[in-house]
Amino acid sequence: MRHIPRALTALALATTLLAASACGGDSGGPGGSSDDAGGKVTLRFTWWGSDTRTKLTQQVIDAYQKDHPNVTIKGEFGEWSGYWDKLATTVAANDAPDIIQMDEKYLREYADRGALLDLKKAQGLDTGKFEPDTLGAGEFDGGLYGLNAGINSFAVVVNPAAFKTAGVAIPDDTTWTWDDFARIAAEVTTKTGGKITGTGTLGANEAGLNLWARQNGESLWTKDGKLGVSPEKTTDFFKYILKLRDQKAIPSAEAVSQDMNAALDQSAFATGKLAMSFIWSNQLVAFSKASGQQLKLLRIPSADGKAADNGSYYKGSMFWSISSRSKQQKAAAEFVNYLANSAAAGNVLLAERGVPPNTDIRTEVTPKLQPADAASAKFIQDIGKDLGDPSPAPPVGGGQVEKIIQRYTTEVLFGRQAPDAAAKAFLDEVNGELK
Amino acid sequence: MSALGELGSLRGKKTAGQKKDNLAGYLFLAPWLLGLFLITIGPMLASLYLSFTDYNLIQAPKWIGLDNFTRMLSDERLHNSLRVTFTYVFVSVPLQLAIALLLAVVLDRGVRGMAFYRSVFYLPSLLGSSVAIAILWRQVFGTTGLLNQLLDVVGIDGKGWISDPSTALGTLVVLNVWTFGSPMVIFLAGLRQIPSMYYEAASVDGAGTLRRFFSITLPLLTPIIFFNLVLQIIHAFQAFTQAFVVSGGSGGPSDSTMFFTLYLYDRGFGNFDMGYASAMAWFLLVIIGIFTAANFLLSKYWVFYDD
Repeated sequence: MRHIPRALTALALATTLLAASACGGDSGGPGGSSDDAGGKVTLRFTWWGSDTRTKLTQQVIDAYQKDHPNVTIKGEFGEWSGYWDKLATTVAANDAPDIIQMDEKYLREYADRGALLDLKKAQGLDTGKFEPDTLGAGEFDGGLYGLNAGINSFAVVVNPAAFKTAGVAIPDDTTWTWDDFARIAAEVTTKTGGKITGTGTLGANEAGLNLWARQNGESLWTKDGKLGVSPEKTTDFFKYILKLRDQKAIPSAEAVSQDMNAALDQSAFATGKLAMSFIWSNQLVAFSKASGQQLKLLRIPSADGKAADNGSYYKGSMFWSISSRSKQQKAAAEFVNYLANSAAAGNVLLAERGVPPNTDIRTEVTPKLQPADAASAKFIQDIGKDLGDPSPAPPVGGGQVEKIIQRYTTEVLFGRQAPDAAAKAFLDEVNGELK
Repeated sequence: MSALGELGSLRGKKTAGQKKDNLAGYLFLAPWLLGLFLITIGPMLASLYLSFTDYNLIQAPKWIGLDNFTRMLSDERLHNSLRVTFTYVFVSVPLQLAIALLLAVVLDRGVRGMAFYRSVFYLPSLLGSSVAIAILWRQVFGTTGLLNQLLDVVGIDGKGWISDPSTALGTLVVLNVWTFGSPMVIFLAGLRQIPSMYYEAASVDGAGTLRRFFSITLPLLTPIIFFNLVLQIIHAFQAFTQAFVVSGGSGGPSDSTMFFTLYLYDRGFGNFDMGYASAMAWFLLVIIGIFTAANFLLSKYWVFYDD
């Protein structure tokens, strides 16, 4: 009579669908291949992101459908936080979308289990204009499971208007240290009487810890898929977050924890409550739209005041993957090819998903970039000479690390766990998730 | 007893007409039966099997015996989720029933416009477990939410109720208590069943309002209280939507709203550990079973049947 718990229902649903799919088998059936050029093809395409991204992506879909009247593309999109649950469910139910916007964190997870198509074997997808490094990010075990959709880097975003209000000068990001960062952020909070807080916190995702580790000769993940950061450095990291809290450089623990689950458009930085925050460089576009401000990107502070030592690296902001169970693999590959290699798509998408990895498209698009796109593209170009080694991709099970570090950052900020205890518990838990 | 006897005699002599009736009966039942077997019993058995396997949603399940169950013993987040769930059940259910009973008694006095009040109070029960209300809750208890604006008016500095681990679960308890309408309606029906002559007799003997409530209303209402208690406990153990939406799917802050069901979901769909999640689902079923059985066993000591 009463509600069966939703989780149970979902479980039940997943198992039923699975059972049903087992009966279906691999018989293919009509429409199983898209070889007949005249036939109608429907593709499902899923991505996460802000309103800005959704609008741009839909524009590209519309343009593609106009050129390919036999292809219909259904967009399925949502916020980052719910995206992965939904993807897991649809994949389990053998109902995965044909084209999947994939993140580095989950790429191995899905690829290792055979859920993604090896794009090297996909017909109609050209990767000739990609630099080997950018292709490599989606490549392992001899296959290409995700095609780099854009290059980004972790950065500090600055709201110059907030700095002006506070009467604080925007710092020189080629020489600033973590101490400078904390001091400047605290200054903003003090000078605005708490109306604007200096910065969003570190530790809202794992990227900050990774850079922290890289600045200290470690890294979050090792090349052979293990944790590479020591309890000591993790403790230092949490101690630094505590320092930010105590100097009022970051908002209250409650505000921080609330912000961790907020959609980009409603986040504290986008709504003008923060002078700085940590973002991925390509998010500059969405944050600029959401805040209505001209924002600026700064490099991540370093331990020794040398930007070249701040551990930054080029990351594949996201990847295009194709479901291995897609019945329209060829059509899907053709659409991914369009996304990655056509000037028409490039001119709409610009740098919202990161700087285009296809070098021709990058050249084509660069003069057309709008201020925010141009700023993020220029940032990526500027830091190019100071980059460290590429950062190893997360191993299977590593996708959980974001949620885990959020939880321990919260524990530390609320004073429920001391930095050393939190560091140990954090590392133990991440280790437990690796498979 | 007598019903069984009747059934037996029916079995003895079945006419062709009755057989036809039965067939029609089964046909009418078919949609429900199909549903029962396909969407309830089938998946339940499947999940029982999966609970003994390592199953990552994509590859075929691997049999691992009791490993999932022994893992639960040392899983601290699971233990925490049990603590959160038990706190929620034991705080919110008694509060909710007490408020429901109180309002039912007040409304039973024949307040003018009672139908209106009854509907108004019942409304939250219909909405309470919906996503929309959970989103509303986030707004009400957020740092710049309605509650803090009200507190601001009286000069109290509010806080982020849902983002502070010490108060987040409290907001969910309040949400559950707020859906007191459905037990209230059942209480109202129960109150109607109490013959007014008891009250009249008691009044003649000089019993006051309180005395009448404790000596007549409460004892005669115990079967209804029992019924509500069983239902609401089961309901509270299965709470999911509210915590999921209010915490943005994380069970946070700091796992303070990580209900058992939420953790189950997190393991299954967040961590691709569907075997473990299935084992957890069966564990929850056993817990709920134990509580329900205990409720029935204990009921003989306090539930009073009038007949």
